[in-house]
Formats: sequence, structure tokens, C-alpha cells
Amino acid sequence: MTTKRSVFRPAIAALVSGALALVATQTAGQAVKNPFDGDATAAAEGKQIYLKNGCYACHGHEAEGAVGPDLTDDEWIFAPSDKMIFNTIAKGRKGTVMSPFAGQMTPDEIWKVVEFLRDKNRQRNAK
Amino acid sequence: MKSNNNRGVMRHMSFTLLASTMMVSLGAAHAQGVSDDMLVNAAKESNNWRMVGRDYDSTRHSPLGKINTSNVKRMVPKWSFSFGVLDAQNTTPLVHDGVMYVTASHGRTFAVDARSGKMIWQYNHPLPEEVGKAMCCDIGNRGAALYGDKVFVSTPDAHVVALDMKSGKKLWDVTLGEYEKNYTMTVAPLVVKGKVIVGMSGAEYPTRLFIEALDAETGKQVWRRYTIPAPGEFGSDTWGSDPDNLKFGGASAWITGSYDPALNLVYWGTGNPNPDWDGVGREGDNLYSNSTLALDADTGEIKFYFQYTPFDVWDFDGVNEHILANIGGKKVWLHGDRNGFLYSIDRTNGKFIYGKEISKVNWATGFTPEGRPIVNPEKVPSYTYEAKDICPASEGGKWWNPMAYNPKNEMVFIPSREICTDIMSAKGTREEGKPHWGIGSIKWNKGHGQLVAFDAKSGEKKWTVVAPSPFMSGVMTTAGGLLFAGTPEGEFKAYDQMSGKELWSYQTGSGIVGSPISFSIDGKQYVAVPSGFGGWTGWATIGGGGAPQLKDSRKGGYVTVFGLFDE
Repeated sequence: MTTKRSVFRPAIAALVSGALALVATQTAGQAVKNPFDGDATAAAEGKQIYLKNGCYACHGHEAEGAVGPDLTDDEWIFAPSDKMIFNTIAKGRKGTVMSPFAGQMTPDEIWKVVEFLRDKNRQRNAK
Repeated sequence: MKSNNNRGVMRHMSFTLLASTMMVSLGAAHAQGVSDDMLVNAAKESNNWRMVGRDYDSTRHSPLGKINTSNVKRMVPKWSFSFGVLDAQNTTPLVHDGVMYVTASHGRTFAVDARSGKMIWQYNHPLPEEVGKAMCCDIGNRGAALYGDKVFVSTPDAHVVALDMKSGKKLWDVTLGEYEKNYTMTVAPLVVKGKVIVGMSGAEYPTRLFIEALDAETGKQVWRRYTIPAPGEFGSDTWGSDPDNLKFGGASAWITGSYDPALNLVYWGTGNPNPDWDGVGREGDNLYSNSTLALDADTGEIKFYFQYTPFDVWDFDGVNEHILANIGGKKVWLHGDRNGFLYSIDRTNGKFIYGKEISKVNWATGFTPEGRPIVNPEKVPSYTYEAKDICPASEGGKWWNPMAYNPKNEMVFIPSREICTDIMSAKGTREEGKPHWGIGSIKWNKGHGQLVAFDAKSGEKKWTVVAPSPFMSGVMTTAGGLLFAGTPEGEFKAYDQMSGKELWSYQTGSGIVGSPISFSIDGKQYVAVPSGFGGWTGWATIGGGGAPQLKDSRKGGYVTVFGLFDE
């Protein structure tokens, strides 16, 4: 029994800490709307961040899609919310090539990339 | 409750153990070792497909002819097998003694009963969460190698792993590079005399890449051959004035080489210099980028080389395979390059025989007698000049997908495309762990796909089949007069080798970017093809795109095996 308990304790601890981390991330995602919504300067900065971090290698220099999907159209994975885009950049998408970037981009930088993509989408729809 | 749960866990574990044991038993009934003799004489034996190129000559020609131009219409699917993962299924399956060994994307390897499609074992390599962003071109794999009682695979995070052929149990696992710095692997290994030879990917990043031979028993390094010379070595003065170019010049080696046992030479291709599209600061030939290296199989020493595209600023990435052929009394290698030319080179000394256009070529206007391309200055991009309509685009010509050669009719069959590009280069930032392309702007212009057949002796084009999209599969010929190829739309097709006439087609469900094989069990011939769209597809969509119809193509992950309806 002691052995079993010692096996379960770390598992429970891991579950609890995982759940807390999830709650924290969700809270951040839900509570914080895109702070740069409609900010053209942030969108321009977002493009530079996008290029600097190598996003273009999979999505193209203008985010038009290559190995990864086109990020400028209305169809991209069923028209994601800003929060979904933020979380995809931060945490990646398991089982796909999309890796997490939270370790190399700050939340503000990620939001600027989100704004860059939103801006590209607006430009595309305006045409 | 706890104890009930534990019992449940134990029950599950017992079931898993039992299932594993059954799988092992099934495997044991089939698998026997692969010898040097089997590999050297692969071309003379018809039932198996024991290395990705089928034989050391990399012909991808099956001597089987039971399925032929007369009866291929009766070919139907016999079984299919899901890999359980999406993205680029770049593999060539192997078959040995009734068992198929097939790799998939995301680090997976399977052994499957080749009669029934029943899984025998699987190996899922534990991949780091961040490996996807370390790779330029998806998370695929190009196949396994077999030797003795082992299966060898490379992994996206730059490991080479030896698995027990019967059980799939990992026997050794060595790491050849830091994936965090973009040393990654997709290559199918080549086994030569007990050495597992592999090459690295990563030339879209600041890297110095290499070809390496490992002891098949232990995984210990036998030799390593860097594809860029060290300071002071021959060729080190071909990289301009920046000494860091010798540390970060790329020159990958991600396509499996060929081997001539009589000459004891391994022929292995090398890729583009880094940055891909910007030559400023690396003026010179950039040896040994875009070359074939003829390596001593025992030591890795470079005996001679042939360079296809010196000072590459188009990402022509000359890494493609070599078909070893004996034509008109000459020992040659045939190489379809991304720069648009089909080459025939004397494989005893590396001397140029011919270079023929596979697709439209305008970046070069011809060759010197030595085979050095004469560059058209109008097609050289710079920071201030956008070179328009460069033909072919970076993917060829012929892309990496392997061609096939039928030694009987001496014809070579090439999956190809007619797509051109506009390029302006730019100064990028060289930082380890980040892409470094040197691109200002790039646009691929809409084109089409084609299959092209050549007389290998003369280099004369015999026929061309045009298709809406580029052929992104490898191809295979058979003694039945058939040529098999797949489309990125998922159609697997059989053609008449002599005329290019389409004889049969089957929709596999997802784009074909791997390579077909054929094998025989109990006198019945089978044909297998992997499918699952993916890989570098920027050429299809960027800047208008060479094949915009492929945008958002459906992904998949299968191998489908076909045989005659009434067998």
C-alpha cells in the first residue's frame, strides 16, 4: 500500500499542477483580449517578430501558407478567435508540426503576431 | 477503489504484454536476417525490396512482371494500413521475407505482415515537442534500412536508432547532432558492409552538415565526412572571405546514396549552401555544396566529386539520388538535378558525359566541356535586382522524389515539373537555431507537372506526360513494362513505359509524396504505395504559387497494397 501511495502521490501532484497551469493559461487567454487590436504599428512590429522567429519557414513570408496553413484567409482552421491563435503560437498544436513558441516569444510579442495576422486578413478581405 | 483501479491497470498491462508477445511471435515467424550477399545481389532477386532504392544501384526497378501492361487493369487494393499520423509520408516501404517495414511521419516505424496488413510491431520515437520548428520542410521520414536482424531508422531529432527486426525493441540509439540547432534527419540509411550510412538535413539554417557511418552492431561512429571542408582543407578557399561560412554553410545530405561494390565507392549527394538565396559574402564555388561525393565506403575519404551548381543562389540543392548504370560499356551514374538537368557522369572518375534538360532551363545557357554550367547573368538575383522567371524554380526540374531506371530498355523515368520563379535576395540574420534563407522576395509562377522518359544512353527525351500538378512521388518501373507514379491529388497511376500511356489509376485518399515498391509472396505480385500529403509546399502557394490548386490539400497517412483481382 505504501508503495502504491508513493506511486500515486507524484501523479496526483502532477495532475494538480497541470490543472493549475491550464487554469492559469486559460485565464490569461480569456481575460486578456488582444491588447493590440486594430493597432497598425503593432501589426508592423508583429511582422518583424514573425520573420525573426522563423515563422516564415513554414507559413511563408506573407503568412500565405507553405508547409503550414495560410494564416491570412477566413478558413484557417475554422476561423479561429484571437485567443486560439495566441494559444496555438504559445503552446503549439500537438500531433502537428506546429511547435510551442512561448519559450522564445513574450506574450506581448505573440499578441503582436496575432495582430499582424489579423491585419493581413483584413487587408485580404478588403480587396 | 484504489485497488480496483490498480487491478484495472494490471489487467490492461497483462493484455498489452500478451498482445506484444503475440505480435513478437507473429514477427518471429516471418523475419530472418538480411545479409551482405542479399544486399549486393538485390537486383538479381525479385521477391523482396530490401533497401529504399531496391538495390545498391538505386534503380527502383522491380524484376517482377506478373502484373504487366496487359493485366494491370485488374489490379485492386488488397489491404491498407493507417500510420495514425498526418503530414509528409515521404517513405519508401521495405519488404523482407513477407514482412513490410515502413516508416511514417512524426518518428514512427512499423512492421506489418505483407500478406494481410496486420501490424506486427510499431516503434514510436519519443520526439521533443519543439522539433517541428527545427525542420524546414515538415516532419517526414524517407524510409528504413535492414541488415542482419536489425531495422535502422533516422529520426527528426537527429538520432539513428537500431530496432530488433522481430520485436521492434530498441537495441541502440545514438544522437548525431543538436536538433535545437537544426541538425535534423529524414534520410533513409544505407547499409554497406556492416556500416549504417546516413546524412544530415538542415541547410536552411546556419549549420555544417555531414555524412556519417555507424557500426551496425553498436552504433559507434566509423567515420564522419563533413560536406564543407575545415579551414585549410581543399575547397576551404571557395567560400568567400567570411571564415564563418565554413562553420555555417549548410550543404545537407538528406537523400540516400548508392554503392558500387566493385569500386567500393558510395555516391552521396550534397545540398545547397546557406543562405539559400543570397550569395553575398560566400563568393566562390562553395565546395562541396550541390555535389556528388564519391566516398571510400570504408573510410569516408572523398575520392572525387562532381559539382552540379557552383555558387548556388537559387536553392538548387543538388542532393538528389544517383542511379548506377552500365551503359554502352561505361559505368555511369545518372542524376536528375533540381537545377533542371539530367546528368550522366562517369562513376569511375567523376567526368562529365552529358547534361540534358528535364524541364525548361534558363539560369544556365550550357556547359563547359567539364560540365560546369554557364550561368545566365539575367537570372542571378541580388539585393537590388529581382530576377524574373528563373527556370526551373528551386524544386526543379526534378525535385527530391526519386526517379527509376529499367536496365533492360535503358530508359530513365523522372517525376518532374515546369515551374519558374521570381527572386530578389536580401541580407538575412545568421543566428543558430533560426532559419537563414537570404530572401527578399520570392514568387513561384503557375506551372504544371510532368513525367519525362529519357534514353539514358543518348540523353534523348522519349516522351512527356503532362499533368495539372507536379509529380511529387517517387516512381518505379517493373519488368511488366509498367511505370508507377503518384500525384499530389492522391491518384496512384500505372503507365506504359514505352509510350507513357496511362493504363490504370486508383485514388488513395491523400497526396502521394512517398515512393512505390513491388514484392512477391507465394508467387503473387503486389505493389505498395504510401500516401499522405505534406512536406515543403511553399512552391505551390507562395506569391501566386506554382500549383495553387494544392493549397490546403488533405493530409493522410497510409500505405495501400495492390494485387491482381483474381489472385
